[in-house]
Amino acid sequence: MKRTEKSWIPAFASMTGVGALGSLPILTLFALPLLASLFFSFEITFDRQAWQNLLAHPQLWSGLRLSIYTGAASTILALAAALLIIIGAYESKSWHNLPATMGAMLALPHLALAIGLSFLIMPSGILARIVANIVGWQTPPQWVTTHDPYGIALIIALAIKEAPFIVWVLAGFLNREDIRQKFVLQRAAAQSLGHGTGSIWLRIFVPQLMPKLIWPLVIVFVYAATVVDMSLAIGPTQPPTLATVIWADINSEQVVNNARGGVGAIFLSLALLMSLVLAWSFIIVTKPIWKNIMNAGPSTWAAPVFAGHTKLISLEVFYVLIAALLFFMSLAQNWPFPNLVPTASLKPWGTIFQNPNALITSIVLATLTSFTALSILLLWLEMMNQKTDRIILWLSLALLGLPAILVGLGQYRAFLRFGLTANMAGLFLSHLLPVVAYMAIVLVGPYRAIDPRFSATAKSLQASTLKFFIAIKLPLLKAPILSALAVGFAVSFGQYIPAQLIGAGRFSTLPIEAVTLTSGANRPLTAAFAFLLMLPPLLVYVAAARFGRSRWSNS
Amino acid sequence: MSLHLKNISLNLNGNPLILPFSLEIAAGEIVTLMGPSGCGKSSLLSYVAGDLAAPLRGHGDIFLNGNALNTTRPEQRRIGRLFQDDLLFPHMTVGENLLFAIQRGARSERQAMMKTALQRAELEDFENRSPHTLSGGQRSRISLMRTLLAKPQAMLLDEPFNKLDQALRNTVREYTFSHLSTRNIPTLMVTHDLNDAPKNGRILQITTTGEVKHV
Repeated sequence: MKRTEKSWIPAFASMTGVGALGSLPILTLFALPLLASLFFSFEITFDRQAWQNLLAHPQLWSGLRLSIYTGAASTILALAAALLIIIGAYESKSWHNLPATMGAMLALPHLALAIGLSFLIMPSGILARIVANIVGWQTPPQWVTTHDPYGIALIIALAIKEAPFIVWVLAGFLNREDIRQKFVLQRAAAQSLGHGTGSIWLRIFVPQLMPKLIWPLVIVFVYAATVVDMSLAIGPTQPPTLATVIWADINSEQVVNNARGGVGAIFLSLALLMSLVLAWSFIIVTKPIWKNIMNAGPSTWAAPVFAGHTKLISLEVFYVLIAALLFFMSLAQNWPFPNLVPTASLKPWGTIFQNPNALITSIVLATLTSFTALSILLLWLEMMNQKTDRIILWLSLALLGLPAILVGLGQYRAFLRFGLTANMAGLFLSHLLPVVAYMAIVLVGPYRAIDPRFSATAKSLQASTLKFFIAIKLPLLKAPILSALAVGFAVSFGQYIPAQLIGAGRFSTLPIEAVTLTSGANRPLTAAFAFLLMLPPLLVYVAAARFGRSRWSNS
Repeated sequence: MSLHLKNISLNLNGNPLILPFSLEIAAGEIVTLMGPSGCGKSSLLSYVAGDLAAPLRGHGDIFLNGNALNTTRPEQRRIGRLFQDDLLFPHMTVGENLLFAIQRGARSERQAMMKTALQRAELEDFENRSPHTLSGGQRSRISLMRTLLAKPQAMLLDEPFNKLDQALRNTVREYTFSHLSTRNIPTLMVTHDLNDAPKNGRILQITTTGEVKHV
């Protein structure tokens, strides 16, 4: 037998039975740091004094209430908006472009959107100026539209940012050919029984979609209830959410407060877990009620297609508006109320480009982490059995399903022990973890979906495994690989907690600068940083979408 | 009850697939439509049901009990359908699948109708079972009962026995035909197996050129 039949990597693995070698990079760079972070997250669980201090904190319960309420409200709103969009767009002309549109929205960091929204709705923002010019206001209205005590601005920002994620998940499922065929037949059967399209969505499609949404909804809820950077930019301040209370403790110079912040993160995580259990119990207890609704018999109620389309177009317009607004605001040096047009100046951009460290660090980190994550994931997928994928996927879900503040704190403690704080290696590793997690979720499905008969055919044509990988697999996987890279880049770009904790003040990244600026009065510079937070991930995403197009497929 | 198809034809991307033909199906009659794969048999049923999707286009008039249906929405046509797959909704129990088809009204009446249907299907104890725990024959009977509970004025059968083994196929076929005839429902059935056609029933054949001929 000729030795050229197999390439060196998999051949070596299969010949010597050390396929597990492919797992070493991902275990070293992802699994071990993550497990260490999780372990150290709970290190101070039994610090009695810290718990006593936490329970005596005057903002504990009000903060917790706000965190859970803003998290739940934004998740429900995002889900409702996503379902409306799906119902409106399903199998319409806009359906084909929906995943790409949602992907572009996903690429925009949460913080940039929160800052843009605050500039839109603040009392001296664009909306107020437009109204002022119509009704004749000379001073900004005394309305609390950002940092409002009920967290409404935060809820809206989170819902707008998370709805595209839910749509993206659903579209991925609905675009599967077997699901599409199943739904076509089920719709025909339900119509023949007298059900209109609205009734069919409510009673047939949505109940079958919901199980696919459990994990995404948990991730959205936990993220929304524990978000720090968005909350600092637009969330309530009197009192603040619990995550921001904890964040202030963690960053305090007092060791006692640091310990209180540590147990606060554990407390918040347990409270969220309990909320999820309660929500689940509520669903079970109310089952007879919604079963009655489901079984109420045929209804010719039509699907809210128009509302769905309107929602989709509004969302698209909103994202474009936010991007334009941030750029516009970055040029607004002197802008007295109620003028609609400011005095333009390039000063903020001059400031940024005179000291571009934050921009360069963010771009270098995002590039390095996304390519490293891709390399170690491909190595894993090539050399490991499909059954072992669940290890990476479960670890990824654990990372994304736990509060970032809890994992970030554990990561800080773990990295401190290994000398990985305040240096580039630690900063890189701390950004790599969420990048691998998101990229694994994007990449594993399409990678394993490649028809195994392609491999058998290539082998029968005497192609080596390496040749098959380069000539067949990579071209077939071009779109998901480039999508994963774009997602990884955007995820790295938006990291605030790890950058702040592991960087320990030695490194400046765009999210750190943007969050710092939101508490100041230099709006043009804040807008410029927020715009910069938005632009590179968007450009990378557009490039990925452009170059990821298949030559052989319409889809 | 009667189903009348008048000058019905189908086009695919503007090319004729089925040439114009007319057909009247009387109450309780089961007409069989046969033809080679891809000739447009199932698409014809979709046109009659009102959910034919592009690039296929249908022409001609459909009358049910003398009423024109062309502009009526699929869910309002009162035309029942059975497919190759039983299409019991997997997230509902057997009982809930049946309730799904029963018109709104008093809960006790709807429950009674559901239980009667279960009895007719000889599956009285299966109300709370999940569809995937049923055998192929049991699923077929529930599927038929569900369709009949919607009180259809006509039926379209799209190779409904195709996926059943031969022994089961005969049983389910006789069961289906007897229920449809008893209720006087005019039925158009598509199949590629001549054995599925009811004895002494009318049989139509779609030729490779798209003509519909009586056999």
